Amino acid sequence: MSTTSQKHRDFVGEPMGDKSVTSLSGIGEILGKKLEQQGFDKAYVVLGQFLLLKKDSEMFSEWLKDASGANSRQAGSCSQCLTEWCDAFL
Amino acid sequence: MSLFMEDPAHFSKSRLKLDLVAHNVVLPPTKSRKEIYVDLYLKHIAQKNAGDFSSDDEDQEQDLADKEEEEDAEILVQSCLTDDDLKAALLKHGVKAGPIVASTRALYENKLRRLEQSEGQGHVNGVEKGVLYSDSEEEEEQGEQEDGESGSEGAKEETAEQSNQAQQGSSQPSQEPVKDTIEEMFLNMEASPTGICATRRRPIKGAAGRPVQYIYPDTPTSPTTLERREVERRLVPIHIQILVFFILACLLYIIYVCVEGNSFSPFVALLDSLDQGSESEEGLMLQAETQDTPVISGQE
Repeated sequence: MSTTSQKHRDFVGEPMGDKSVTSLSGIGEILGKKLEQQGFDKAYVVLGQFLLLKKDSEMFSEWLKDASGANSRQAGSCSQCLTEWCDAFL
Repeated sequence: MSLFMEDPAHFSKSRLKLDLVAHNVVLPPTKSRKEIYVDLYLKHIAQKNAGDFSSDDEDQEQDLADKEEEEDAEILVQSCLTDDDLKAALLKHGVKAGPIVASTRALYENKLRRLEQSEGQGHVNGVEKGVLYSDSEEEEEQGEQEDGESGSEGAKEETAEQSNQAQQGSSQPSQEPVKDTIEEMFLNMEASPTGICATRRRPIKGAAGRPVQYIYPDTPTSPTTLERREVERRLVPIHIQILVFFILACLLYIIYVCVEGNSFSPFVALLDSLDQGSESEEGLMLQAETQDTPVISGQE
């Protein structure tokens, strides 16, 4: 099993509520700013995009790379984070 | 008259497509052979360009920008599709697309493009195999170059497709189902380069109406609490302590009275008085009298 970061565990452990987009695993300050510029200012908006893509990990990673300039690792991490959150709370 | 004659047969298929679209020529179906494009090109465009040749620099620039043009051609073709058409096209390739909205449209267009390229290459390779034995080698080389070009720009981040194309070069059209599964395998690997698999995780306890699956122990006791509990277990319970205290108090009082009385009769009188309970003063008076009388009797 892969190891998860503390940020990942923090996010997946509770409903996201009004958390900012930088609370997502893999999304730091710089990526967060880029997303906010495009209107994805809260984590739930990114969740919305994830759900629009039918929770497809690959497509979401691709979108994230395009939208924020994330690399594969960051996009994968965010994808996994959202997948697990949905498994737990959706 | 110009020195450079553009030979459309040397253009790539996508370049021809782009040029046709730019001149508002109806494109043939996507999987047509290159020769059809060349014919159309010669028909419509070569006549136009006969009088248009001005700069030779354009040719060189266009060759360099070939990659981008290929992309643009594809983009042109696909942005003409409506949302429904795009969805239907994806469904044809076996992809169940979600809602096609502003933010998802670009993604799905890319996906469709990639799917069409990989399929188109499979078809073109199959066609060219037949051509191999009859036509000159030039065409084959051009075809492979075209595949290489479109392959390298289409692959972008996905190394899977590059290795896949190598396979396609040698595989026959009848092996497409096998190729697809291998492609899927490779795609999966690419999606998790660090080996992270998004497997379903066991739900969090108590969340969203799920029953508690893992019960945490009660709040852990501190060392001092544990010590106190140990000590308390060994001590005598407090009720018994109070009872013992009262019994001892009574005994001591009785002993004190006995010591003061120092004879049997006062002891009995004391006991009587104790039995009666409320006549403690009389008991004391009796005690005094009985004490005096022996003393008096003793003195006499």
